[in-house]
Amino acid sequence: MKKVTMKLNGIPNKFIVDEKLVLIDLLRKNLSLTGTKQSCDRKGQCGACTVIVNGEAVRSCLKKVVDLEGADVITIEGLGTPNNPHLIQEAFVLAGAIQCGYCTPGMIMAAKGLLDKNKDPSVDAIKKALRRNLCRCTGYTSIIEAIQLAGRFLRGETTPDQMRPSAAAGQIGVSHPRPWSMMKACGVVKYGDDIIIPGVLEAAVVRSPHFNARIKSIDYSEAEQMPGVVGVMTAADIQGTNSVAVVVPDEPILCAEFAAVLGSPVAAVVALTREEARAAAAAVKVEYEVLPRVATAAEALAEGAPKVNPDPDFPNIVYNAVLYKGDAEKALSSSAHVVEEKFSTQLVHQACLEPEVAVAYMDGEGEDAQLVVIGRSVAVHLHASIISVATGWDNVRYIEAFAGGQFGIKTDVTSEGIAAAAALHFKRPVRYTPSLEESMLMTTKRHPYSMDVRLGADATGKITGYGIGFIAEKGAHASVGFVIMDRSMDMLSGAYNLPNIKAEGKLVYTNDAWGGSARGAGPPQTNFALESAVDMMAAKINMDPLEFRMKNSLHPGETTCTGQAVDEWAYLGCLEAMKPLYAKACKEAKDKTNEAIRRGVGLAGASFGIGTAGDISYVSVELDPDDGLTVYGSVADPGEGNDAMLTQIAAHCMGIPREKVRLSTRDSELVPDAGFSASSRQTYMSGGALVYAVEALKDAMKEVGAKTHADLVKAGKPTRYMGRNQLNDVTGVDRETGQGKAWGSYVHGAQLAEVEVDTKTGEVKILKMTTVVDPGRIINPQAVIGQVEGGADMGAGYALREQFVLGKSKDWVTYKFPTIAMSFPKETVLLETPRDKGPLGATGIGEFTLVATHPAIANAVYNAIGVRICDLPITPERVLSALGKK
Amino acid sequence: MSEHEGRTIKRPQTRKIAGVDVLFDGEGFFINPLQWTEEIFEVLAHEAGMEEISDQQRMAVHFIRKFYGEQGKSPLNHHLKVGTHMSMAELEALFPGGIKYGLRRLAGLPDPKGCRKVIGWNVKND
Repeated sequence: MKKVTMKLNGIPNKFIVDEKLVLIDLLRKNLSLTGTKQSCDRKGQCGACTVIVNGEAVRSCLKKVVDLEGADVITIEGLGTPNNPHLIQEAFVLAGAIQCGYCTPGMIMAAKGLLDKNKDPSVDAIKKALRRNLCRCTGYTSIIEAIQLAGRFLRGETTPDQMRPSAAAGQIGVSHPRPWSMMKACGVVKYGDDIIIPGVLEAAVVRSPHFNARIKSIDYSEAEQMPGVVGVMTAADIQGTNSVAVVVPDEPILCAEFAAVLGSPVAAVVALTREEARAAAAAVKVEYEVLPRVATAAEALAEGAPKVNPDPDFPNIVYNAVLYKGDAEKALSSSAHVVEEKFSTQLVHQACLEPEVAVAYMDGEGEDAQLVVIGRSVAVHLHASIISVATGWDNVRYIEAFAGGQFGIKTDVTSEGIAAAAALHFKRPVRYTPSLEESMLMTTKRHPYSMDVRLGADATGKITGYGIGFIAEKGAHASVGFVIMDRSMDMLSGAYNLPNIKAEGKLVYTNDAWGGSARGAGPPQTNFALESAVDMMAAKINMDPLEFRMKNSLHPGETTCTGQAVDEWAYLGCLEAMKPLYAKACKEAKDKTNEAIRRGVGLAGASFGIGTAGDISYVSVELDPDDGLTVYGSVADPGEGNDAMLTQIAAHCMGIPREKVRLSTRDSELVPDAGFSASSRQTYMSGGALVYAVEALKDAMKEVGAKTHADLVKAGKPTRYMGRNQLNDVTGVDRETGQGKAWGSYVHGAQLAEVEVDTKTGEVKILKMTTVVDPGRIINPQAVIGQVEGGADMGAGYALREQFVLGKSKDWVTYKFPTIAMSFPKETVLLETPRDKGPLGATGIGEFTLVATHPAIANAVYNAIGVRICDLPITPERVLSALGKK
Repeated sequence: MSEHEGRTIKRPQTRKIAGVDVLFDGEGFFINPLQWTEEIFEVLAHEAGMEEISDQQRMAVHFIRKFYGEQGKSPLNHHLKVGTHMSMAELEALFPGGIKYGLRRLAGLPDPKGCRKVIGWNVKND
């Protein structure tokens, strides 16, 4: 042990510390300064733990405390508070540079390290200073803009008050700062690992090292005797169904007999500290019978292939999806032009920065005790129900913590199962904070697809028919893979009028990481094939790709792939708006291309369905004694901006200031069921339910002539009213034909990628991404742009570099997480065609970008080098290989 | 069909009951809980093998409909026990199909597995 004297956030301190202690642990564990985050297992890869030491931005996970004698340390807590924020914190909020907020404290501290030395940094200087800070939601562009804005504040050129929208601007269509952003900027919101619970035990999980195995025995006698260990839990200790799967019961909390994939959870050790739990978990001896691994769909489909799921009810082809519209074979065989190609997309990780944390405890005694789970859910009611059945405990309450990223991954139950079962078994509070490597092993991914595509067109360039056969590799667990397949089908025609379609898809189990909900959820894969084929056809018939898209856009009155007649189709308007931007980009590319560095321009479109058959959202409102309004509903907001959406709609509809709108969205005991925060549905569904709830309240007030809460109470009326939004006119799809009414609404858009390709190295550099998007009436433009531009960075990673390889992708470096160095300028044009049934004319926006960005980049690469790369990611090796074939 | 095939789907269906075109999901749950009426309940209960509806059965159905209508969410087991003053075993035995396929389905609540409810499909074995 050593004594260290340092100044921390301006206050002189003396600490007696172990020589191995790193600064992040001193801050978070010893001092509960949890604004400093960690994502990368203390490898210095993420920058979330950045603090200032002696004026320099430092990754606190790499800094030993004993080396800080006499140091001056500033953490996010020392910078500012929500009531008295630092100008950099103000700038991040006002620039819309905060979504989930998990990377934000580190970003802000890195920015401070830069701005303290240089108040007017260039973009390159900002990129250099933040080269070790990762962001997944917001995208790097708005973070760069935030730092530039902070520079203007610090130079005295403008002030936060001058940048804030005025109260007179109204509520709708205005980029008001998001209600929770300043708390995130100040590091005061609580993510799962930040929540302080006295006496909480820590869990660690024993995971299978084999790709496929049978568990023969588990010996934890040695582990039980290790320091700090409270106990070991196996499947036999779980009293319920032990299944946390959303749909079919193939995903246990802890495996009983089979461990179908590398990293399958086999036992959980609970101890006084995380380190003790992990040490004991390493001492648990598991005897396995290693079973053959079915690594690919081709292997799974081969005659005599072993079954991935030993349950006889689950064959290797776990689901077939079909869609038939018209007569595609006849149309294709009689088409003047046909293009045919095979495409593939890779397995990718949604890559939330926060580890998959959950904590659980028993509130009360005996059979009446309530099992309280605090975690990363985006559907607290469904997940409370799943945990209740899985653990066999009837009384379960789920409270959503702040979550560091979502992107679909939080549709499934993960760490909550372990924490809840352990809290129940040991009757003690238990937290489970897995490592990044474990978080990667225990979560769903984006399914890899292989697709055979045929597209036909007549002599005039009108599309005649489309055929696609595809195989989606499921991995070892079903998760919501069925839904992904159906969504691929239901949006198969993208933005276009495809009069004849034949589509058949198979979802195939393998012993690999398993797919699930992933931003876009199905259409990103199939739209890559469609938009690539559309470009191929345009090239084949020598028609401009934009013109070809305009010619084949769907129009109101025509039908989508599912035969659903549409009453609006704003895609054509997006293409019209794109025209001059596209022409300019084409000219620039032509002027600047050369043999070594080839410039290219690529387009892709997307029309993305929102609101499915039978979808329901409930939101209630309560008039408060001060005549403010509390909004209740399980509208999880892991970063997308539902806080702003609910607040601005409520303030607008009630005619009150936003400051008088309060949100209660996190606690299953308190809120009605607003459904998943997924599928881009919350604005459309829960925004709509909120409008209905406020209408009910206002009707009640009008009925008795009440103007205030006091009037309403005096008249004997309730103060709380429910809004219910159900899409009764969306009647669903017949899965034997793929025909029916699939969606309540659509968001439309087109994206334009400008790239340069280095023909010597094969490197693709994105120069700019331009988006024209029409999400209906816009509630908060900055939030919409944030979704589009943040998604573009994610889509670029999908297009060019990311690939999850089970057993090899273990951290952010091996996963090739996109960094600020790869970020690129973006321009977003917002169009607003009001949607009849959306709240105030709005629809959703969250996933649109992930459907169009990667095909736009792929088309741009083709435009640059004249060779089409049909397999994602478009790595330098693939580019060089393609150039060799030219 | 190869040895690896094995799954088909149940489709949502509309049935005319007591003069109403009621939309059910593949497992027979109401897609629109507002379509439920006492008359439809009685028809469905009869189909489920309940010759007469007891006061306890009717009370349990009314409790969960009231809970769902007021709270905007399906009751968990804990709420069922408190609200009906019955144990889970008693409730399970009270309806053919138990709590999920009996009580919840006959009361017109959507399938609690929201994901299935939303997309209107279900998987069954061949």
